[in-house]
Amino acid sequence: MVGQPFLRIENVTKRFGRFTAVDRISLDIAEGEFLTIVGPSGSGKSTLIRLLVGIDEVTEGTISLNGARIDEMPADKRPTCMVFQSLALFPHMTVGQNIEFPLKVRKLAPEARRARALELLALLRLPADYYGKRISQCSGGERQRVALARALAFDPQIIVFDEPLSALDYRLRKTLEKELKDLHGRTRKTFIYITHSLEEAMVMSDRIAIMRAGRFEQIATAEEIYSRPVSRFVASFMGEVNLFALGSGADGAPRWQDSGITAAPGALSLVPGWNGTAMVRPELIHFVDGGKGGAEFTLSGRLAAEYALGSRVQYAITTDAGTEVTVERPFEARLEAPVGSPVRLGWDRGSVHLIAEGAGDGAA
Amino acid sequence: MTAVSRPTRAALYLYGALILVVLYLPLVAVGFASVSKARYLSFPVKRYTGGWMAEAVTSPTVHQIVLTSLKIAVTVTVISVILGFFGALAFARFQWRFRGLFQKAILLPIFFPQTVLGLALLIWFSAIGVTPSWKTAVVAHLVWISPITTLIIAIRAYGFDPALEEAARDMGASTLTVMREVTLPLLMPGIVSAGLFAFLLSWGNFPLSLFTSGVDATLPKWLYSRMVSGFTPQIPALGVMSVAGSTVLVLAGLILVRWLRRRT
Repeated sequence: MVGQPFLRIENVTKRFGRFTAVDRISLDIAEGEFLTIVGPSGSGKSTLIRLLVGIDEVTEGTISLNGARIDEMPADKRPTCMVFQSLALFPHMTVGQNIEFPLKVRKLAPEARRARALELLALLRLPADYYGKRISQCSGGERQRVALARALAFDPQIIVFDEPLSALDYRLRKTLEKELKDLHGRTRKTFIYITHSLEEAMVMSDRIAIMRAGRFEQIATAEEIYSRPVSRFVASFMGEVNLFALGSGADGAPRWQDSGITAAPGALSLVPGWNGTAMVRPELIHFVDGGKGGAEFTLSGRLAAEYALGSRVQYAITTDAGTEVTVERPFEARLEAPVGSPVRLGWDRGSVHLIAEGAGDGAA
Repeated sequence: MTAVSRPTRAALYLYGALILVVLYLPLVAVGFASVSKARYLSFPVKRYTGGWMAEAVTSPTVHQIVLTSLKIAVTVTVISVILGFFGALAFARFQWRFRGLFQKAILLPIFFPQTVLGLALLIWFSAIGVTPSWKTAVVAHLVWISPITTLIIAIRAYGFDPALEEAARDMGASTLTVMREVTLPLLMPGIVSAGLFAFLLSWGNFPLSLFTSGVDATLPKWLYSRMVSGFTPQIPALGVMSVAGSTVLVLAGLILVRWLRRRT
């Protein structure tokens, strides 16, 4: 947490007819925090932020800022500002007129508006001669910066972002993610960002909330979510992780179902009757030489494919049991073997994260 | 463009040219009739004169008639564009319960035969005790033209991102400011086109005016009555001038729309 909690979302529900888009959500956000809400399309994340800025009305629950309720306030009176997915830059205005729009609404004098717009152009590293340009003359990244400048001109207490980077190409997105984080550091405004990319969330956020079917599945720091996801859903959101079905008998001894994993005796003990999933990250699995055991858990199979990722190399392994496992090694520790070679994989107890069956289905 | 063989392309050009000839040749005939000295047109034209044009321009009757037509067309344009603007918002932008019904119902007057519509309105006006005049003709034109302006502006309204209005609202703009700063300027090309259509459709309308304008003659109505009795080459002369005026108006409108589009 950074500073005092100042935005409180309490038991907020939004229904469209019979469909519940947001289901009893509660969340406290601190002043100056960068919170990212991550979820697949249809998870209710867009609806939640539309409720927050006042474009849509809550069905139940309250939203308060510094203790005062804002959920019944119309959008034009709330101290929040949204950067839309489409950016919603006014095509009939110049860059300067777009940035000055919120100031014009506030009836600021033209000279003061212009001065502020030029200041913001500089803050967002856009040349001053962009002031008179048409929006259609700006590139995707420049439009992004203009939209941000306009939001900052409004000077809201909270800026909300609705996946504004999703339409851009990968490299530009990476650059802008870092710029946005940097901008957050310089302005110390509260940022609430939504995306379907956990990777994007991890680069920028103080905290990440994972949303699924109108509920929060987990709210934690990037590090916590990365190493200790509370559910299969969160784990699978991170892309290529290995998930093995795991159970235990009456004695608490682990049963690795059909995965073909061999565990050293006593390497793992579970409560009797436990059921769930063992997660092992691809970079925590290494290759083991044929003779020596070398690891607490081992699994044998064949190399099915190899993908160069630059600094790392990713391997697809088909195990003898027929399942797919992903392994990632640093470029320096790459496997010098042709596709089809038999391999043995190994990892230790510390690399295994256990997720109990049904975890995350309730509130986080 | 996809590759088209030379003979096919030649055939397409020929076809296009033929259509233009068929469309515009009658107009050329009217043009000749207006400058031929003979009372009735025959080819080749033996002697040309500008007399009919001059006669038409200076005739007090013609002044009166053009003024009536203008009065109707301008009133219809202003009212139908205002109705069309709000109608288009209801048609394309707002979700409301009877939107589907509204979208279908508004099309009906366009498909209704105009003579029947004119007759129906005339019966209605006399039933409620209103004497037909240029004002009732305005009402009749509006019934037919407002749906058209609504559709033209609605097409433009469909094309713009609803987030633009939401964003303006989110940044503190009131409903009125959103309308003035965002909605209106973005719909402007549609509004100009709709106005142009409204004016020309009203200016050239014959069946509705015939039934509903009473003793006030409009230009098409007068042209028709003089065709039936007392033909003079003033009629084609007036027709040609009317076409020329419309053409100038259309060109001016197109330039304005293009200029507005370039800004957005």
